Amino acid sequence: MPNILEIRNLSKDYGDFKLKNVSFELPRGTIMGLIGPNGAGKTTVIKLILNLIRRDSGTVRIFGLDNLGDEAAVKSRIGFVHDTPLFYDRLRLKNLKAQVAPFYEKWDENLFQRLLREFDLPPGKIFAKLSRGMKMKFALALALSHDADLILLDEPTSGLDPVFRRDLLSRLSAIIQDETKSVLFSTHVTSDLERIADSITFIRDGEIVFSTGKDDLLDRWGVIKGGNDLLTDETAKLFKGFRRREFGFEALTDDAAAARRRFGESVAVDKVTLEDIMFFMTRGDRRV
Amino acid sequence: MRNLILLDLILHRKFLLPFGGIYAVWVGFYASRVESPRLSVFVSTFLCCIIPLMIFTREDKFKAAAVSCSLPVTRKQVVLSRYVLGWAMMLVVYAVIVLIAAAFPGGKLKTGDILSLNSIFLALAFLTIFFSILMPLLVRYGMVGMFAFLIGLQVLGAVVLFLSARKILPFSVKGIIVSIGRALASLNAHLGAPGYYLFLVAVLLALSAASFALSLFLFKRKDL
Repeated sequence: MPNILEIRNLSKDYGDFKLKNVSFELPRGTIMGLIGPNGAGKTTVIKLILNLIRRDSGTVRIFGLDNLGDEAAVKSRIGFVHDTPLFYDRLRLKNLKAQVAPFYEKWDENLFQRLLREFDLPPGKIFAKLSRGMKMKFALALALSHDADLILLDEPTSGLDPVFRRDLLSRLSAIIQDETKSVLFSTHVTSDLERIADSITFIRDGEIVFSTGKDDLLDRWGVIKGGNDLLTDETAKLFKGFRRREFGFEALTDDAAAARRRFGESVAVDKVTLEDIMFFMTRGDRRV
Repeated sequence: MRNLILLDLILHRKFLLPFGGIYAVWVGFYASRVESPRLSVFVSTFLCCIIPLMIFTREDKFKAAAVSCSLPVTRKQVVLSRYVLGWAMMLVVYAVIVLIAAAFPGGKLKTGDILSLNSIFLALAFLTIFFSILMPLLVRYGMVGMFAFLIGLQVLGAVVLFLSARKILPFSVKGIIVSIGRALASLNAHLGAPGYYLFLVAVLLALSAASFALSLFLFKRKDL
């Protein structure tokens, strides 16, 4: 399966924050979730893909093209939603659309009008007067109306009600069905990714911790619960992170089957969620 | 580039039409009250180049540069469109100013003074100098940077004059000003010669090209 996006050793130094040698691939026809705590570097990665910030080193290839050398050609095939939808906020939606549409050869006016109706967005409304969720919907309508091959979404579901979030997830799933398009989706709402993502890339402190298939991740990893007497210096090394409580410990393992073999019936092994992974790998204890 | 220019024009039309119109009329009226054609050209061109610069600062205000640069355009196209639009606006606004200054009843300038080839070339020179210096600052540092530069120049001038009056400086400020004045007077005296026009045009083009290259260099390094 050819990759629609290939990132190699991407680095950016802000002084107080460094993105360090980030590498991952997004295969065609898939949805990748980009997760990580606040300030981990998710938005930086998306901005580097769009060349909104200057990279210090590394390469970004999109559709096999360099994102700097073929910038306009690459961007014409990307639909984007930034974490804070910033437009000229005194314009009406129809006027904002009139600014954006001419930049895209494949602009589909009928689709855009249909999305406006389905998202309950009045074309005559002034952008500044929309709620955050409605602004996000408008940005999504723009991103989805030019037959983009790669859709970059930076926290698109923040501010959206659960009904619309589900609707959006269905749309994204539908978009990749023809196996030619892909979605890179950064979010804190990990339950959204559990519904639709094919792969997960976890970023922490500017470094990629893992980039792997979601199903494999959720099948293989687990949360171990047991008595505190089982948590020793030696056993702690088996865990990605743990939390000690008064009546026992909880720990994250990347090999639930091995943990079962090691601890037997003395521990409970629960299925892991992406939220568990984020929690234990960012806030869990590191030392016994 | 066309789409980028249209984007700017349409986004700022509500600002441009009323404000730009009133501003051009006011500057034209003001220019007609000044007796010296050269002073009139100097002041008009400076005030004229403020119009496109104000437009470009509005993008800072709305923090919309990230959206513009996420569209299928290169940074070079963004900067080039700003230069093309900036020059087009300055020329249109300056033409309006000159027409008003020439036609306004009771004006102190003769029509020939401000519509002569010399005045036109002088205006082009001033427009080029102002725009070429201010655009890179605006592109990199936004409105704050541009005004900081202008205010900084005034503060620097005041400090230099103060130090000069106290004879602290090791050089003569008056001598420098006189030399610049002589150079300008010499240029002005020779402007009638075709060779000088060509030389002036070449210098202005070189200055514009250098300004564009610097703006592009700075904008490519700007994180949005």
